[in-house]
Amino acid sequence: MKKSIALMAVLMLSISLIGCTGNQDDNTITFAWWGTASRNTATYAAIAKFEEKYPQYTVEGDQYAWSGYQETLGNQLNRGSEADVFQVNYNWIYSMYGEDYFLDLHELDLDFSVYPSEEHDPLTVNNKILALSVSETGYIFYFNQNVYDEAGIETLPTTWDELISAGQVINANNANKYAVGRVDAQAASMLLFTYLSQKYQKNVINEHNELAFSEAELVEGFYFLDDLINNGVINITDSSPDGPSNPKWTSGNYGAVMTWNTAIAEYQDSLSVGTLVTGGMLQQHAGEALGMYKKISMAYAVSQRVGQSDAKKEAVKTFLEFMTTDPEAVEILGVDRGVSSILSVQDILENASTNYTDTLEWQGHFIVQELYDYELSMDVNLYIHPYYEHATFRKFYENIIESFLTAGKAPAIAAGQIYDGFNNYLATYMEG
Amino acid sequence: MVGQKKWVPYVLLLPWILGFIIFKVYPFISAFVMSLFKTRGLTSTYVGFDNYASIFTTATLEGADFLNAMKVTFIYVFLAVPAILIVSLLVAYLLSRKLKGIGFFRTAFYMPTVLGANVAIIFLWRYIFEDEGLINQFIMLFRDEPIHWFATGAGAMTSIILLRVWQFGSTMLIFLNALKNVPDTLYEAATIDGASKAKQFFSITVPMITPVILFNAVMRIVESFQVFNGPMLITQGGPNNTTNVINKVIYDTAFAGGNLNLGAAMSWVLFVIIMVFTVLIFRSSKYWVHYAD
Repeated sequence: MKKSIALMAVLMLSISLIGCTGNQDDNTITFAWWGTASRNTATYAAIAKFEEKYPQYTVEGDQYAWSGYQETLGNQLNRGSEADVFQVNYNWIYSMYGEDYFLDLHELDLDFSVYPSEEHDPLTVNNKILALSVSETGYIFYFNQNVYDEAGIETLPTTWDELISAGQVINANNANKYAVGRVDAQAASMLLFTYLSQKYQKNVINEHNELAFSEAELVEGFYFLDDLINNGVINITDSSPDGPSNPKWTSGNYGAVMTWNTAIAEYQDSLSVGTLVTGGMLQQHAGEALGMYKKISMAYAVSQRVGQSDAKKEAVKTFLEFMTTDPEAVEILGVDRGVSSILSVQDILENASTNYTDTLEWQGHFIVQELYDYELSMDVNLYIHPYYEHATFRKFYENIIESFLTAGKAPAIAAGQIYDGFNNYLATYMEG
Repeated sequence: MVGQKKWVPYVLLLPWILGFIIFKVYPFISAFVMSLFKTRGLTSTYVGFDNYASIFTTATLEGADFLNAMKVTFIYVFLAVPAILIVSLLVAYLLSRKLKGIGFFRTAFYMPTVLGANVAIIFLWRYIFEDEGLINQFIMLFRDEPIHWFATGAGAMTSIILLRVWQFGSTMLIFLNALKNVPDTLYEAATIDGASKAKQFFSITVPMITPVILFNAVMRIVESFQVFNGPMLITQGGPNNTTNVINKVIYDTAFAGGNLNLGAAMSWVLFVIIMVFTVLIFRSSKYWVHYAD
């Protein structure tokens, strides 16, 4: 009897452990990413092309939606079951302790001269390049031209004052319509910090990893948000979630969206009434070009497991080079992961059979670059700090901003709370 | 021959026992062990009960979230559990009557429980309560402005409580069975004595089924403290964290925030809270539960 039970236990345990074994085949590359339907389609097409060009390799693609991807990846890293190559947000190299889990890409012997060095810097920790940048992205405005046309506004706003005036006209014309629309705490925080960055030419977090703005400046920022709320620019009563599926966005009641230029496709696809126009960043005064925040949009990281085999490293290197620089792959992938900063890749896209240069991502990319270059010429570098979007830390300032937006918290109190807690909490999460 | 077959029940039980050990006992113990460490990447340091201490302080963001979540979860439990018990008992009482087509009504009322609070239903629920949703379409027959359910704490809490109450089928079935076991002779005697239906309900029905009320109350309290799907997918804990329940804070801390140690400590605190409430309700039962001898 004991033998039978023991045998049964071993058998069941063996079956259950089958799923835990890693893939030992060096010619099979597993690749995980998050994306929308069009990115998934393009990625699978690129994988098929890779397998056609390099028949010795097989790629097992594993697509995810954005929602839940970070949590899943975190679990996989803890269990050691992550894909060989996985798409990451730039700041995860810090929050996920990339040094412990991500392969130093120097080990792959990639030709880094092909890739713009300014994109490696945010992904480099202790001289280890922990991920390969796919593209950069910036936070800018895209307008729904129809909303402005219907209100008789002939020129799209370029300054905050013009936006507020437009909001008054649009909202007076139709109480359901707004110059921008639903804004959640994340977008509101970007609006607030963008406004203050323009006015005081400071990044949110300075080089000493501290909040750059004074309490009085923050109060000013909250009064700016107040103006947007009270003048038909942003709608704080919409109880549907912010984003491309918001019913008032899809039905053309909202006049603009402020988002990362690499995320605009979803807004365009879901918009059933209206036409989107790339707007760039609104300014304090006409003729200025300040206040645009930029960051690495996404990057490819490699599991440390890959480093254990030279054959596997070669396979992954071939795959990464193919996905980022191969002319056929570049054309297939298009702008679904944003526009690469590699000039030769941009040339391929400009001359591709599909017209990528008219896309909102493409237009946004070049507006972002222009704004960023201008900012640098003014000695202002508005690059998103890797801990600004830390999953827990961001809740600190976003909760306060949300209670300002929806629970009527006074600007002075909200500003005081952010000012009092920001540096302390930032230091806590940076220490880990 | 008979002796040889003694092992058969154990083998038949083995899958359940293995499942129980692997998926319940092991995570339960390992979560406690994890809660005593602080992990940074691949390095773990023993910190004793520091994680527990950081839960009960507003000095940390996670602590502030957890303390708020305790308040929110208590509100949810204290509103949802009585609502489920009352609705399911009343519907069970109606369905215990000998009515034409009663089988159809029993099936219809049980249907939401079969559907459950799965993701599809939750999105449907979200759409029902949106500004242009079914409920607001009805409300706007009588007023100009929709109710912004998810824009206020009370509205958002109402929506997730109603989702829970809507799935009253299992509770109702248990009540229905209990109601059938109340002897008719008691009602006949009461009717002869001139007791009204309401008097009979509160003086005969309710006391006779108090053991079942206790059972249902305990089950629903345990379940409600662990609510997650509705607050996660319908309200995302908002607005202003007014529906940010304990389980969502655990999820945010452990998975989105990547702090598995603190998440494990929070899970153990939730376990203790549920245990305390379960013990309290059992202790109180000697004052209000009547067992037939």
